Amino acid sequence: MFNQSEGLSVLKIQRFCTHDGPGLRTTVFLKGCPLRCKWCHNPESQSLRSEFFYTPSLCIDCRICEKVCPNEAHEFKAKHEIKRDLCSGCMQCAKSCPAGALEMQGVRMSIPKILEEVEKDRAFYGKTGGLTLSGGEPTFQGENTILLLKSAKEHGLHTAMETCGYFDEKFILSLVKYTDLFLWDIKDTDKQRHRKYTGVSNRKIIENLFAVDRFGGKTLIRCIFLNGLNTDEKHIQKIAEIYHTLKNCRGVEIFSYRQYGESKYAALGVPYSGNKNWSVTLDHLKDIRKRFLALDVQCSINR
Amino acid sequence: MEFFTSSDSKRPIRLSAKIRRWAYESMHGKYGDEAMKTPYIEIEEENFNKLDDLDKYDIMITEIAKKAPIRVCEEELISGSATLGAAISHVIPAYHKGEKIFSSVSHLTIDYETALRFGMNFYEQKVADRLEDKGLSKRQIRFLKSLSNVISAMRIYHRRYLEKVKNIKPDIYRNLQQVPFQPARNFYEAVQCVWFIFSFVRLCGNWPGIGRLDVMLGDYLKRDLENGTLTIDRAREILASFFIKGTEWILKDTPPSSGDAQHYQNIVLAGTDKQGKEVANEVTYLVLDIVEELGISDFPITVRLHENTPERLLRKISKVMRHGGGVVAVYNETLILKALTAYGYPAEDAQNFANDGCWEVQVPGKTFFIYVPFDSLALLQKKTLDGYRKNDFSSFESLYGAYVSDLEDQVKEIYASVSQSFGGPQIDAPCSEWKTATPCSVVSLFERGCIEKARSYYEGGPEYNVFSPHIGGVADTVNSLYAIKKLVFDEKKITFAEFMDVLRENWQDNDILRSYANSLHYYGTDNEEVDKIYVSLLHDFFLACRKWDKRGNCFFPAGVSTFGREIAWAQNRLAAAEGTLGGEVLASNTSPSPGTDTEGVTAIIKSYCKADLSEMVTGAALDLKISPQALSGEGGITALKALLRGFVKLGGYFLQIDTVSAQTLRNAQQNPKQYKTLSVRVSGWNARFITLTREWQDMIIGRTEQNV
Repeated sequence: MFNQSEGLSVLKIQRFCTHDGPGLRTTVFLKGCPLRCKWCHNPESQSLRSEFFYTPSLCIDCRICEKVCPNEAHEFKAKHEIKRDLCSGCMQCAKSCPAGALEMQGVRMSIPKILEEVEKDRAFYGKTGGLTLSGGEPTFQGENTILLLKSAKEHGLHTAMETCGYFDEKFILSLVKYTDLFLWDIKDTDKQRHRKYTGVSNRKIIENLFAVDRFGGKTLIRCIFLNGLNTDEKHIQKIAEIYHTLKNCRGVEIFSYRQYGESKYAALGVPYSGNKNWSVTLDHLKDIRKRFLALDVQCSINR
Repeated sequence: MEFFTSSDSKRPIRLSAKIRRWAYESMHGKYGDEAMKTPYIEIEEENFNKLDDLDKYDIMITEIAKKAPIRVCEEELISGSATLGAAISHVIPAYHKGEKIFSSVSHLTIDYETALRFGMNFYEQKVADRLEDKGLSKRQIRFLKSLSNVISAMRIYHRRYLEKVKNIKPDIYRNLQQVPFQPARNFYEAVQCVWFIFSFVRLCGNWPGIGRLDVMLGDYLKRDLENGTLTIDRAREILASFFIKGTEWILKDTPPSSGDAQHYQNIVLAGTDKQGKEVANEVTYLVLDIVEELGISDFPITVRLHENTPERLLRKISKVMRHGGGVVAVYNETLILKALTAYGYPAEDAQNFANDGCWEVQVPGKTFFIYVPFDSLALLQKKTLDGYRKNDFSSFESLYGAYVSDLEDQVKEIYASVSQSFGGPQIDAPCSEWKTATPCSVVSLFERGCIEKARSYYEGGPEYNVFSPHIGGVADTVNSLYAIKKLVFDEKKITFAEFMDVLRENWQDNDILRSYANSLHYYGTDNEEVDKIYVSLLHDFFLACRKWDKRGNCFFPAGVSTFGREIAWAQNRLAAAEGTLGGEVLASNTSPSPGTDTEGVTAIIKSYCKADLSEMVTGAALDLKISPQALSGEGGITALKALLRGFVKLGGYFLQIDTVSAQTLRNAQQNPKQYKTLSVRVSGWNARFITLTREWQDMIIGRTEQNV
């Protein structure tokens, strides 16, 4: 599916990340995701293709995008209108926009180029920090993701990966080999709800998690909580069960649904599917943590 | 009784309720208003105006010692107080007919060590011995007698305290019978000694820094703890008195300014000794305990870091930093020691470096120091580019060359001006030919070299005489040069002459070009191309200063600063090629320009460290604001530690991190009463946010907050 010479589709590379694994880290967000979570706050990471954000308040009506677009996707009538269905993803418009109103989401980068970026902060990694792959779903780019992890290990970097766990089992062995820590999302333990709200079944996710664990992969389980949706006791107990079955899991990190992706949906021109009532208060999170502790689960809150 | 914190972790409680309440009340203005009731002492001497300067000065100091109000707080464990309100205004608080007479001295750290080890009596003897010299000139004899007068005045003041505390504070009475006139014998006496000297010097209007408090006090505490004569908790309460007394100038309602009435004086902690061993001791941790608990920012603390800084210390600093307030900043000792020895300081003096009360590095108790700031951006805009009327640069190299030549002229001008102010008409040696200057015997007494040479602090007395040109506006000058390079010479988006027109017209009707200029990756984004210009600029500035260095025993080392001048400078600035309009408040110190630091704090530190900062001998500060959220939890501590280690490894000089969200600051603007104890790092000093003028507040808010 992918040719290495084309590199990887990278959404962005963010330095100085303090909550994406141990120490100070550089997080590489890779594009493409097999899930379509209703609460996703990085909708621009879902597609493998490059896309662009449009922020009307920044547009200065210079009409450069209109001129450079080969597909007539930009039109200036009363205001700047965008016909996304005509867009071929060439990104000429975003590249030429002088005002930052059109912003490209996703570039192709070679592995050496990505690692060059990650190497920039080596002085800050010390013994604990390093590279975190996030997304999207990092494994969505398959062999290339594994090559990236392998190269990172050859550079002597600590590697962590935020994953939804939904990937082909053939990757498991190499992922374990080149990933020092998996930050493993369990979005819901209820099968029906998982399918309804993420678009896929959670069976593969849980099976992969156990397989990774069997091969010695270190994990930290990450659980999003959505008020009224998955805050029930049964879900918490299920997670605790999974945690206790795993041999190499260092704990469960919990956090609340956050509404802040909404503006990105608008900028992408797609309807928002989140729900503000899903937010879980800090006090409620603390309660959930207590329930986990009572079940003998190492649990922390990520704010 | 809450002390403001930016962190979601609570401040620890270690001090007694009584001490905490005292701190809280002091920080809410209980004593500050009182100081303002007696701003100064009125000199009633007839014929005062006919006296010569030193006679006037001696009378003033004696009168202050005799008449300044004595204050002993109910809770205090050490005594001495700067009770005259006018001292806040940088004057000696003794007036004649309601008029101020002399201004006071700042930007120095005096020698406390001699008084600690040998007592003030030693000074008395030393001055008397020096007066035996038959070769002294009349002027030198007069100066030495003025030093004797300072000691006599201190004795008067000291006796008044003894009387006051005799029946109410037996511990303090016992200590004051010993110190500061005789050597301190234990920790409690040592703290009292340093405080008494500091508060007396401060009472007389001066602003002395404290220096390496842990080095000064560490051995005393160690001995007392080993003897069992003192517990660590008691030691913490004693030392807390020192800090709480430093807040006695906080008013209930402070008129807005560049910060409220604080003692402001810097303390330097940790670092290595001559053998390269870490000096951090129990005093280091007690100081950090106290500011972690109370959030007192009145003595800005700077910790000396190096590659082997113990983990325990780094963790402690990170925990204190997280609470915000800019209470703790850091030096990269490794680089600074290299800078000072390469510059020519003897290793032993270099090793003992502290600062001047802000962050400019100096050898404490031996240094006369002034810095002379200038705006490098205005120089580019108005001189090199002649208010954008210049149109004949055909390459970036010719533009840069012309700028460096203007920079050299600017530095020469600074040299000529300090030379004329302090020395004779000859430009070569300001400190060999010394002019009679404003009297300053109080601080001169505590500066090594003054007694020996029988010359005052302002007259070439101290061992080192430092005049440091400080370049300001660095980031914006670099960015402007880079923008011109990119737009005109590399990408040829516009001709040089056209671009000058655009800038002269303040970017009018050029939104597209301006947006493009704004979108470039500037200083602070770890962009090699722009950082190369930054590296050259600082190096060329260093070379320009070196031409005038060490003439007639005068040091003329380079440094970088703005110290908030970016506000005053704004009105003198035109539109900049990086896309800013005329009159905008731009970068502070060696920090990136507001809004251009898009790649995060690590990128900022990387850019900043690319220059050989050891050439900026007196300092080059980096100010960062990090959102509390980025530093929450254990991850936050780890990240902060990593940031500090990286800063040292990459060769930074001085780093101050403020942990506060822009939202909190905006809330404080709206509801000042609820944010009385919220401090921020302004530059070399901290200030309670609500006491800043709107302009200063906006500048602080404008510094990009680095989030995740």
